Formats: sequence, C-alpha cells, structure tokens
Amino acid sequence: MLTVKNVYASYGGSLILQGVNLSIAPKEIKALMGRNGMGKTTLMRTVMGLLPPRSGEIIFNNEPIHNLQTHEIAAKGLSYVPQGRDIFGDFTVWENLRLGMLKSDRSSRNIPEGVFEYFPILAERRNQKAGTFSGGEQQMLAIARALVTRPKMLLLDEPSEGIQPSIVDQISEILTKINRETGLTILLVEQNVEMVLDTAMSCAFMEKGQIVESCPIEAVRQDDSIITCHMAL
Amino acid sequence: MFKLSSAGQFRRVYIIRLTVLGILILFPLTGYDYLISQLTQFIVYGIFAMSLSILWGYAGILCFGHAVFFGLGAYVMALVTKGMIPGIAGPLTASWVGILFAILAVAIFSIVLGYFLFYGRLSGPYLGIVTLAISVIAERIAVNWYYIGGFNGLVNIPPLSFASWEIRGLNVLFYFILAVALGIYLLCGRILRSPFGTILAAIRDNEMRAEFFGYNSARYKIIIFTIGASVAGLAGAFFAPITEFVSPTMLGFSFSTEVLIWVALGGKGVLLAAFLGAILVRILESFLSDLLTYYWIMILGLFFVVCVMFFPRGIFGNLLSERRR
Amino acid sequence: MDLTVQILNGLNYILVLILVAMGLVIIFGLMRVINMAHGEFFLLGAYTVVMTDQIGWGFWPGLFLAPLVVGLIGMAIEYICIRHLYQRFMDTILATWGMSIAIKQFIIVVFGPAGLMIRPPLPQMARFAGIEYPTYRLFIMLVALIIICVTYYVFLRTDFGLGARAVIDNRNMAAVLGINTRKMYRTTFTFGSALAGLAGAVMAPLMSCDPQMGLGFFIPAFLAILMGGTGTLAGVLVGGGVVGGADSLISFLYSPVMAQIVVFSIAIVVIRIRPQGLLGSKRYV
Repeated sequence: MLTVKNVYASYGGSLILQGVNLSIAPKEIKALMGRNGMGKTTLMRTVMGLLPPRSGEIIFNNEPIHNLQTHEIAAKGLSYVPQGRDIFGDFTVWENLRLGMLKSDRSSRNIPEGVFEYFPILAERRNQKAGTFSGGEQQMLAIARALVTRPKMLLLDEPSEGIQPSIVDQISEILTKINRETGLTILLVEQNVEMVLDTAMSCAFMEKGQIVESCPIEAVRQDDSIITCHMAL
Repeated sequence: MFKLSSAGQFRRVYIIRLTVLGILILFPLTGYDYLISQLTQFIVYGIFAMSLSILWGYAGILCFGHAVFFGLGAYVMALVTKGMIPGIAGPLTASWVGILFAILAVAIFSIVLGYFLFYGRLSGPYLGIVTLAISVIAERIAVNWYYIGGFNGLVNIPPLSFASWEIRGLNVLFYFILAVALGIYLLCGRILRSPFGTILAAIRDNEMRAEFFGYNSARYKIIIFTIGASVAGLAGAFFAPITEFVSPTMLGFSFSTEVLIWVALGGKGVLLAAFLGAILVRILESFLSDLLTYYWIMILGLFFVVCVMFFPRGIFGNLLSERRR
Repeated sequence: MDLTVQILNGLNYILVLILVAMGLVIIFGLMRVINMAHGEFFLLGAYTVVMTDQIGWGFWPGLFLAPLVVGLIGMAIEYICIRHLYQRFMDTILATWGMSIAIKQFIIVVFGPAGLMIRPPLPQMARFAGIEYPTYRLFIMLVALIIICVTYYVFLRTDFGLGARAVIDNRNMAAVLGINTRKMYRTTFTFGSALAGLAGAVMAPLMSCDPQMGLGFFIPAFLAILMGGTGTLAGVLVGGGVVGGADSLISFLYSPVMAQIVVFSIAIVVIRIRPQGLLGSKRYV
C-alpha cells in the first residue's frame, strides 16, 4: 500500500531522514518504534507532504506521491493524525468532523453514520467545543475525523501519548475492529509497547533516520530484547 | 563575481570605501556648482539613509515612518536658529545650539516612543505601521500649526555658522557636510562592530534565544532606536540650514517611503550600501524625472518590489559586506 | 436634530471602515499577510467609479465594476508577487508596500494628482424622524450592512468558510484534511481586495477623490483590527466601532486632526495593554 524508498529529508540544515526504506502491505497494521528524535514524526510528515523529501520515492497505492502537495495526498486516501492531535479547539465536534469531510465531493454535512458506531461518545457531544474534551476524547475525535472519508490508509503519530490507559485500550480495540471490518491499512508510530502488542501486526524500528529492523509482532512477543535494544536509553 | 577569501573580501570592501571617499573628495574639482550643491543635499540624505539602515538592517526594526525623526530635527533646528522658541535668543540661536537641541528633542521623543513600543512587545509589522501612523499624524499637525509655518513651513533659515565662521561657500559647505557624514559613518561603524552591535545582531536574528542568554532585548532595542532616530534628527538638523527651509513633507509619509526605498535598493545591512543607495537613487531621479515625470515614482515602486522579492540584500549589499556570505 | 445627523454620519463611517477592515483582517488572519496595498485597493475602487463617471456611464456601472476590477487586480498581485513570499512575512509587507506606491502613482499618472469630485448618484434627501438625511448615505449603510452580513454568513455557515477558518487556525492541519491552502489564499486575497474596492466605490461620491485617500482609510482600518484582535471577525466589528466612533465624535467636537491623534492614542494604549486585541485570543499574537 505504502512504499518508502530511500527517502532523505531535512529541516533546514540538519538531515533527519537518512535513506528510509519501509513498506506496508494493504490491510496491515504496522507499528513504527524508536526513541525520541530518531525521525519517526519527520517520516510521517514527509509522507504527507508537509516536508518535501530531498530525494527518494514515496509510492502510495501504486502512485508516486512524493511530488504532490499535502491536500492532494490527502485526497488520494491517506489520512494523518499528528502527535498532539491538532484538534481545532474552537470548533465543535460536529464542525471538526465536517472538516474531515471537506476533501470528499459529498456535502460536508453527510457524515456517514458508521463513524458514530465506532465512536459512540461523539454522537452525544456533537455540539460541544472540541477544546473542552479530555485528551482521550480528543484523540477519538481526531481519529474519527481522519476516517470520515473512508481513507485507504491511516497514519497515526503517538496516539497514546498523554492519554489514560483505559482509553488507550479502547482506542486500540476500535483500531483493530476497523481494520478487521473495513481493511483499513494503518501505520502507527508508538512508544507504548503494550498498545503495540495489542494492536500491531508487525513492527519496524527506527534509529538515526533509518529503519534498522523489521519483524512480525510474534517475534517481538517472544523476544523482549528486540524492544529493549531499540527503545532503551 | 569571483569568490574571495574572507581577508580578500575585506580588502575589496576597504578599497571600495576608499574609492567612494576619493570620488566624493575630488568631486568639487569638477566645478559644476549646481551639481555640487545637489550632492551636498544628497549626502545629507545619505546620512538619513544610514540612520534607517542602523535600525532596519542591523537591529531588524522596520520603521515605516522614519521621516518623523528627520523632520523633527529639521524643525527644531529651524525654530532655534530663527529665534522662534521663547526663551532662546541671542547667542543661543547659534548653529551648534540648534543642532544640539534638535538631537536632544529627537532623542527624547524616540526614547519615550521606544519605551512604549518595545516594552509593549510590539513586534515587527505592528511597530512599522504604528510609526507610519505617527509620521502621518506629525505631518498633519505640522500642516495645521500656524506658528511653525503650516502648510508652507518655514523659510529663511540662517546658514550654518560656528563661532564667527559662517559657512557660505559652496565647496566649504560640501566638505563640511562630507566630514560630518564621514564622522557619523565611522562612529556608527564603531558602535555596530562593538560587543553591543554583536548582541544587537543576535537579537535581530533570534530574539527569544538572545533573551534566554539573559539579554534584555527591549533595552537594547530602545538604545539602538534612539541612536538611529538621533542620527536621522541630526541629518534633518543639517538639512534645514542647507536648503534654508523646512516643510511638513519632511516629517511625513512620502519622505518616509523614499528613504525606505533608498535603503532597500542600496542594501539595508551595510551602512555604506544604504548611503550609496540614497545618493544614487537621487542622482538617477534628477536625471530621469524630467524624462519620466510621474512615471519615475511608479517605476521606483516596482523596482522596490522586485528588490524585495529577489534582492533582499539590496544592490550593493553583497558587494560591500565585510563577511563572505 | 443635528445630533441625529451626526450620529448617522458616524455610523456611516463606522460601517465603511468595517468593510475595509474586514478585507484586511481576513487576509491577515488567513494568509498572515499584512496587505499594505489595501488602502490602494480602496483607492482603485473609488477611481473605477471616477472613470465610469468620466466616460459617461455614470455611477452605478462603476459600483458594480469596482469589486470585480479590484478583485482581479488583487488576484493578479497575489499570483505574480505575493505567493512567492509566503514564508517571508516581513517581505510581504514590504512588497505590498511597494505595490501600493506603484498603484498610487499609476493613479496619479492617469488621473492627475488633484482631487476629483463626482456627483452623488442619489441626490434626494430622505425625510424621517423629523430630519432630512441624504438618501445616498442610507444606501451606503445598507450596502455595507448587507456585505458584512454576507461575509459573516460565508465564513460561519458555508463549507468554504469552515475551511477558511480551519486554515486560519492551523494551516498544516487544514492541508492534511485536504484543504487546498494555496487556492484558499488566492481566493481570500481576491475577496479581501474586492471588499476594499467596493468600499472605495461606495465612498467615492462622498469625498474628494484624491490619490491619498487610500492611506486615510488604511491606517484607521489597521488600527481597528489591531485593537479588535487580528484573528477574529468579531474583533473587526468592535475595533471598527471604537475607531470609527471615536474619530467621528472627536472630529465633530474638535477637529479631524485632533480626532486622528486621539484615535491613534487610544489604539496604541489598547494594544500596549492587551497586545492580542480586545477580542483576540493569545494564540494569534
């Protein structure tokens, strides 16, 4: 579904992505792990076009997207929930969801009911300002918003950050369910090992701007040392 | 342009500076009286441009209303030397008193203004437009103030004289002004190259980081603001007796715009570049404005836009910069 | 009864000022561009009407043409110049400043530097509440109110407005959601310019049209949005009300020069005490 080939990217003078090679199969849930500052968020931003790659290719659904602008990439069916959620706090839940609809051709008021099936809590709070929600609720809103147009793939950056464990579990369940029922491909950047073990099908580890190891989730379950090797300080 | 080593660049800049000075010193030998008197005025404009370059290029303070300082200096000089200020008469109407008062008035005004602006964390564009508004208002006040001449301003301003030496000769005046300009240039250069100047550059480039290092950016900005304004006021103070008149346009919006254009075209980051920008634009204007009349300003405006877009360092900025960029 | 007339005049000024300021704040809030040429867009709108008056078409075609013409000019300026400068905030100010000089000089070249007058298109006086008041001024207020309401509707109720407000709030996230920010910028700039052009056209019969009139509206409009808050539409109403109201009041009681000084001082004090403006939130400073 998504292939990243030898991508280099930098912020100003500092080179962050140093030849990243990654691929994610359709309907797969892959977790991207690594310590802070290794380039995981930068990779997501580069895939979404928020940062132009210096070189390399990014292929999504058999189409090259590395030269496209962010909104064009979004229109191709790639949704992104950044670290910290970036909810429009002054807008209501309803308006946030409508915003998610804007890239599709349908009127923004036709939000598919399915969204509320997965996230019942949002139905109750339609007209509440998103800024008043708790972290966990905001995260659900962000994911719901990313999903209203039935994208082909979802990029999630540290969804569990700053959220209470029970809600993290809920989110993990919802993601697994959506993947099972709709075949949504998910790339998940996470530092929360439990969530990764619960949700992901495979893992990739990033270090100093490169992918250094890839393995299916069973390998990680059986052998703790893989995680400690790449995540410990 | 071929690349030079740092030392080579420095030497080249030095040679250019001396060449410019040389040309200016030798100019009166040409004997074109009209041109000499024009150039005298242009050199004063050059000082004015340098004052804006101090604020804008070195300190990063964009001032859309810079003429207000020039005009204030000019008016104070005029009022003092014409004896129009109650309590200041007789020997106190001498030139040096006028210049002193002009600089003082502008300095005080700019300190007050600076305190207000910089401690209020009024940044970049807001500050620029606030100064614009001040310039517009100042011009309006001057136009409506009968005592200081209203729309027509004041005329018959006594020429410069120090002790009993009245500067009347064309060439003498030229060299005098040139000496003043050189003095200002060296003084400002010294200030900007000092540790103070380095800190100022740090504040310009990244104010937050400079503050983390413990520098009170507002205070530095006020100081440089006052210096820049005072140099402008000094330019105004010299301008008045040379042209022998002052008018509200010296305070206002279009003159503020002109100096902005000179400095942008010449190069805001280098004193000499700004100085040359003023002189050369004015020279061009005196040649072309007869030809092109109204179109001149329009072309200048478009040139300015092109400069902003493609030559942010100005035409001479790179040439005259001491450091290899 | 003279008081009612003065109040109506004040209201007139406030509404037109809000029209101008709205364009400015939309452009600034969305694109983070301070359009120094905004006053000149006002100017171009006024001179469009002068032109139609001079070639014999009269006022009304000019009123319809003005927002179109000025909108197109705005679009052209955005395309040629501004879109290269989006990362360079200070440079957009300077570039638009340069354009304002060129535009103003262009007007001088074509129409001359002197002030021109055109006949008010609705010369009748309306009679109500015991006073006589020019019908045309009432018309202006009506037009201004309608446009302000339409703008609010567009921004608060339509999909376009939703997208625009998202871009104002968080440009990157809006792009991630599929909003074409470049197109949004172009549309916004065009719309903002057209607003200014309309304001200029509408004011033209009431003033002596001279090349400096743009600046005369730009500064108060800018002060109004600084005071009201640069990220809010509601702030424009408040800022415009205060600036316009104070200016009219003090002009009437003392003199226009005094009014300018007072308005300016009030604006400065407000901004000093509350840099984000009266209605602004801290994020937009």
